[in-house]
Amino acid sequence: MGGGNGQKSKMARERNIEKQKAAKGSQLESNKKAMTIQCKVCMQTFICTTTEVKCREHAEAKHAKSDVYACFPHLKNDACKKLISYSTRKHLTRLSLFFLFLYAPSFAVYLPSKKMARLYPLALFLSFLLTISPSLSTNSEGNALHALRSRLSDSTNVLQSWDPTLVNPCTWFHVTCDSSNHVTRLDLGNSNISGTLGPELGELRHLKYLELYRNDIGGKIPTELGNLKNLVSMDMYGNRFEGEIPKSFAKLKSLRFLRLNNNKLSGSIPRELTTLKDLKVFDVSNNDLCGTIPVDGPFASFPMESFENNKLNGPELKGLVPYDFGC
Amino acid sequence: MSLLQKLVSMFLLFFLLLMCIIPSFFAFPPNPSATSFGAAKYVAAEGNKESEALLKWKASLDDNHSQSVLSSWVGSSPCRWLGITCDNSGRVADFSLPHFGLRGTIHSFSFSSFPNLLTLILWNNSLYGTIPSHISNLTKITQLDLSDNHFTGNIPLEIGSLQSLSNLDLSYNNLIGRIPFSIGNLRNLSLLYLWENKLSGSIPSSIGNMTMLTRLDLSTNNLSASVPREIGQLESLVGLSLSFNNLHGSLPPEMNNLTHLEILQLFTNNFTGHLPRDLCLGGLLVNFSAGYNHFSGPIPKSLRNCTSLFRFRLDWNQLTGNISEDFGLYPNLNYVDLSHNYLYGELTWKWGGFHNLASLKLSNNNISGEIPSELGKATGLQMIDLSSNLLKGTVPKELGQLKALYNLTLHNNYLFGVIPFEIQMLSQLRALNLASNNLGGSIPKKLGQCSNLLQLNLSHNKFIGSIPSEIGSLHFLGDLDLSGNLLAGEIPSQIGQLKQLETMNLSHNKLSGLIPTAFVDLVSLTAVDISYNELEGPIPKIKGFNEAPFEAFMNNSGLCGNASGLKPCTLLTSSSKVAKRKSNKIVILILVPLLGILLLLPIMVGCLYFPNRKRRERISCLGERQSPHGFVVCGHEEEILHEKIIQATNNFNFNNCIGKG
Repeated sequence: MGGGNGQKSKMARERNIEKQKAAKGSQLESNKKAMTIQCKVCMQTFICTTTEVKCREHAEAKHAKSDVYACFPHLKNDACKKLISYSTRKHLTRLSLFFLFLYAPSFAVYLPSKKMARLYPLALFLSFLLTISPSLSTNSEGNALHALRSRLSDSTNVLQSWDPTLVNPCTWFHVTCDSSNHVTRLDLGNSNISGTLGPELGELRHLKYLELYRNDIGGKIPTELGNLKNLVSMDMYGNRFEGEIPKSFAKLKSLRFLRLNNNKLSGSIPRELTTLKDLKVFDVSNNDLCGTIPVDGPFASFPMESFENNKLNGPELKGLVPYDFGC
Repeated sequence: MSLLQKLVSMFLLFFLLLMCIIPSFFAFPPNPSATSFGAAKYVAAEGNKESEALLKWKASLDDNHSQSVLSSWVGSSPCRWLGITCDNSGRVADFSLPHFGLRGTIHSFSFSSFPNLLTLILWNNSLYGTIPSHISNLTKITQLDLSDNHFTGNIPLEIGSLQSLSNLDLSYNNLIGRIPFSIGNLRNLSLLYLWENKLSGSIPSSIGNMTMLTRLDLSTNNLSASVPREIGQLESLVGLSLSFNNLHGSLPPEMNNLTHLEILQLFTNNFTGHLPRDLCLGGLLVNFSAGYNHFSGPIPKSLRNCTSLFRFRLDWNQLTGNISEDFGLYPNLNYVDLSHNYLYGELTWKWGGFHNLASLKLSNNNISGEIPSELGKATGLQMIDLSSNLLKGTVPKELGQLKALYNLTLHNNYLFGVIPFEIQMLSQLRALNLASNNLGGSIPKKLGQCSNLLQLNLSHNKFIGSIPSEIGSLHFLGDLDLSGNLLAGEIPSQIGQLKQLETMNLSHNKLSGLIPTAFVDLVSLTAVDISYNELEGPIPKIKGFNEAPFEAFMNNSGLCGNASGLKPCTLLTSSSKVAKRKSNKIVILILVPLLGILLLLPIMVGCLYFPNRKRRERISCLGERQSPHGFVVCGHEEEILHEKIIQATNNFNFNNCIGKG
């Protein structure tokens, strides 16, 4: 891109055109259609994040005589393209990582169907491909947020403005970007959201504020959140998160506020968090945590209220051999 | 080896061979469409040619992954292979392998072997190299999609010979050079996507020959020069995107002919001149984005009746004109951003008709008049930014009806009056910025009901009274700015409840008293400014205060503490301060009566002294004369007086007596 136009650095780009179908009617309808893939043969619709695999499965299951593209010519659709590529890539990465440790013959044991058989060798090598693949498209942050949206249930439509056809998510409500159009804040506290989080949040490399408090979000906290090097504040309190506090949070070197209280988190408080020098506020009260409370680094100054209502065994006892009771 | 062993090994070998052969019978059933042996043979021969070409290409692919993807590509009939579909004559008609991570080039692809190929779809793979010129051998091709790969080099001139093409998508690659003039030969083309490449040069004028074109996207390239007039010939155009290029000059007036446009995106270029006058004359325009250019002149009048508009962005231009002139009804309008222009006029739109409007951004213009109360009827509004305009009048209470409003930004205007208490109804409000206006009165207590508030900026107004303690119930508040007002009284201790407060600016007010001890609970505070007040006493021992520079505390009545520029608060200092105050009081209590006494003393003395002097004078009167009636008169002067009295009263004649006491 040439040009020294200073305004360009503050741009919001919109690439709506690929979404436009020949459909008449208001943009609203077109947008909704843009978010769906419709099988042209039977007119059944799938949301845009349906992986191509599912489209193929549908086509092969229901319309064996037609090929996938008779059913889904819109697989070419740009946003769908990117979304499919994104989610399938991630889907396959997980698979490939799992199968990396298996011997090839054992694939056969796990085949749910012959059709899926094609994918698994693919998956194995896709992970390598991904590590050397070029950077994601310029709308990777928008893709990530849209993938997040597909996991969440949003009863009050706070995410209605999250239009994946736009070139970046900077005009989406509750999303704040910096001057280079990177997402810096996600303010979805108190928003009546349920569902789960996914690894895609870790893609928002410039994120500083992750505010998801007081919703109804469940499932595990993705370890990929540890990739958010610039994160200053993570407020996920007042949800239904379960599982452990990821050890990867030790990578959040800029973190100042970490509030995970009032969830259903279990396991121990990772010792690694004591390396977070800037951590000022740490609240894990009202969970199911066990083990001992770290006392090093910033943990020396956290009040006891930050840890209450857990199954913790009190502060870590320091001695020649630091030990903890485990859980 | 014994005979038995030999037999067993031979049997195993035979069995293995059988296992290999039998599946191939199932994998490759005879072609059902073959009608005669001769035809089948022909098909087989041609099919062989095609299968050979495909296998040759498969072999040229780089990695094992690609090989395994195409593991079904064995044998001589490609029609059942992954991604291949044949037509009724058994020739390959569709070659579609999108999104499989294939890595390699298409140089070795023998395009001439596929005269019947109708679609070639290879988007989202890892193909690289150039697009070979012999792609022109695909004479019947209708859909060519190579997008989202790593193709480099120029678009071959020969692409113009693919006369049957209706969809050409080469987007999201690394293609360089000019768009070939020959592209105009694609008379049947309805979709041309070249977006997100590194194409340069101008848009060829031959583009006007592609009269079937409905979708044209050349965005995100290095295209320069101006838009050719020939673009006006594309009357079927439904979507046009030229955004994010280096295009300059004015838009040709021929663009007014594009009456079927639903999407027009021109943003981030160097366009100058006026916007097309007859935009949306066909009443179909849904998305119009031309921001970040140098467009001047007015918003086209034809847009005023453009009821189909959904998204309307002209921000960051030099547009002028009066926005109030009948701006009509926009029942579908969802997002409008006209900020950073030179628009004037008033907000006299028919807001009740804007059912779908969620985002209204008109900041940084010259818009005058008042914020109309009808704005409260656009109940879908979630974001309002009218900042940096010339708006006057009050903040209408009807804004309280906007239940979905999460951001209200009105700073830098001339608004006056009070904050209406209806603001408490905005339960979704996350950001409220009323800074730099002439608002007055006190900060309403009801503001505490906006429990979702994250940012509150009321700075540089004329708010009086004290900071309401209800601010302390805004539990999620992260940024608080009340600076530059006339706020007085003490800071309420409830402010200490704001556990998520990160920045607090209370500077340039008349706040007095001590900083509440509860401020020690402001655990999240990182930046604070309380300068230019009348505060005194110790600062709380928290990071936000301890690390603040002297400018954050200067010009107060006597703050002390462990921060730069402040005197340390020793125990003595603090108690002596209190004692000093007390002793001041004592001093006053003592001094005043003392002074009073001192002042009164001479008077008292004088009072006492003067009567004494008179007595003394009487005593020193030479010769007392007692008149017959008993009063004493003495002194020289008194003698003369005495004479006069005798004379006047006729020697105290009874007749002159007016009374006896």
